[in-house]
Amino acid sequence: MKKVVIIPAAVLLLILVAFATTGAYRVPTLEIEFVKERPAVVASVEYTVDGLTCRGKSRGFAGMISGVEGVVSLTTYVRTNTAIVEYDPALTNPVEIETAFEGPIIHEGEEDFLFKAKK
Amino acid sequence: MRVLRTIVQTLFLAGVVAVMIRGAMGLTTSTCGTYCPFAGLVALYSLLRYKTYTCAMNELHVALFVSLVALTLITKKSFCSWVCPLGTVQEWIGKAGRKVFGRYVRPPIAVDRILLNLKYVVLVLVLGLTWTVWQGHLGFRAYDPFYIIFTGFQGHETLWFSIFIGIGVLVAAFFVPMVWCRYLCPLSAVMDPMSRAGFLRLRRNPGLCTDCGICDEACPHGIRVATADEVTARNCTNCLECAEVCPEKGALELTLFGK
Ligand code: SF4
Ligand code: SF4
Repeated sequence: MKKVVIIPAAVLLLILVAFATTGAYRVPTLEIEFVKERPAVVASVEYTVDGLTCRGKSRGFAGMISGVEGVVSLTTYVRTNTAIVEYDPALTNPVEIETAFEGPIIHEGEEDFLFKAKK
Repeated sequence: MRVLRTIVQTLFLAGVVAVMIRGAMGLTTSTCGTYCPFAGLVALYSLLRYKTYTCAMNELHVALFVSLVALTLITKKSFCSWVCPLGTVQEWIGKAGRKVFGRYVRPPIAVDRILLNLKYVVLVLVLGLTWTVWQGHLGFRAYDPFYIIFTGFQGHETLWFSIFIGIGVLVAAFFVPMVWCRYLCPLSAVMDPMSRAGFLRLRRNPGLCTDCGICDEACPHGIRVATADEVTARNCTNCLECAEVCPEKGALELTLFGK
């Protein structure tokens, strides 16, 4: 019954393959353009955000940065809690955007801090 | 064989419990659902419909689902008896029940045949609801004992409902071995056709077998091993409990591609 080792070996190998290949075909969870016309110069910043765990939360995140003048687009990847924000460097900067999404969301009097950039 | 399998099962169970405890302590946002291959099927589904992942699904779910398909094609439903923590817990509870009752309690064959098809109904229901009412979300989580039990009964907004499903499955597994896997699990339904093809399977050597039937009694899935030349049954999980108890050395052997 030596062939029994094929089972744990196949399990281990296939799990390793699954983890090793996930990065190869990333599909964004959410892609949003906030402006009708893109500015001539666009910079981009990538955040790893605690709390960015699903599509619904990606939408909440988009809502929080949408008010920042100069934010051009948002792309999220929830597997890695990644948010990539494009912005007009003449109008805003990464610190201002971070302050916007870390800001409190007010739920009927309660303060609820949903997102926190990982440093 | 059993020792090796128990080690593998314990490692996966410990892993999922560790994720649960770390989640409860606020150390991770991952849950057992982060590693669930069934979510991969739903993720493929939402990719097809929405061209993106909905809910908390992502590439890892899809990759784990593809790996599961490959694993099942190679080793039948070994996922259920070597990897899945819910399968492990049910198996251990079922063995406790067997000790108490002196044997595995099984429904009559006619009833068993009908119940065996219930999981296909569950699968169609889950996929149908995901397409319509749940709009690509993992709505099934609220009814899934794996998610409910291994999130510490947090799976549904209503605690009593989580307890009802989670405890219900565990108690039922004491009386009917592998009750969830055998009759209701939609992932088990997905694996069935691949499992039938599974290349690594048990073969009975009629020259060495004495037709004692001990293997039949030991199978938690009620598979008739003692009268089969090869165990092709879709429900066989390659747990090898039958081979473990077989008193005739070499009467039951694992074969890969028939060799
Ligand atoms: S036939 Fe043997 S290996 Fe297959 S499920 Fe039953 S006991 Fe396990
Ligand atoms: S336990 Fe072994 S000897 Fe007995 S019926 Fe099964 S295969 Fe044959």
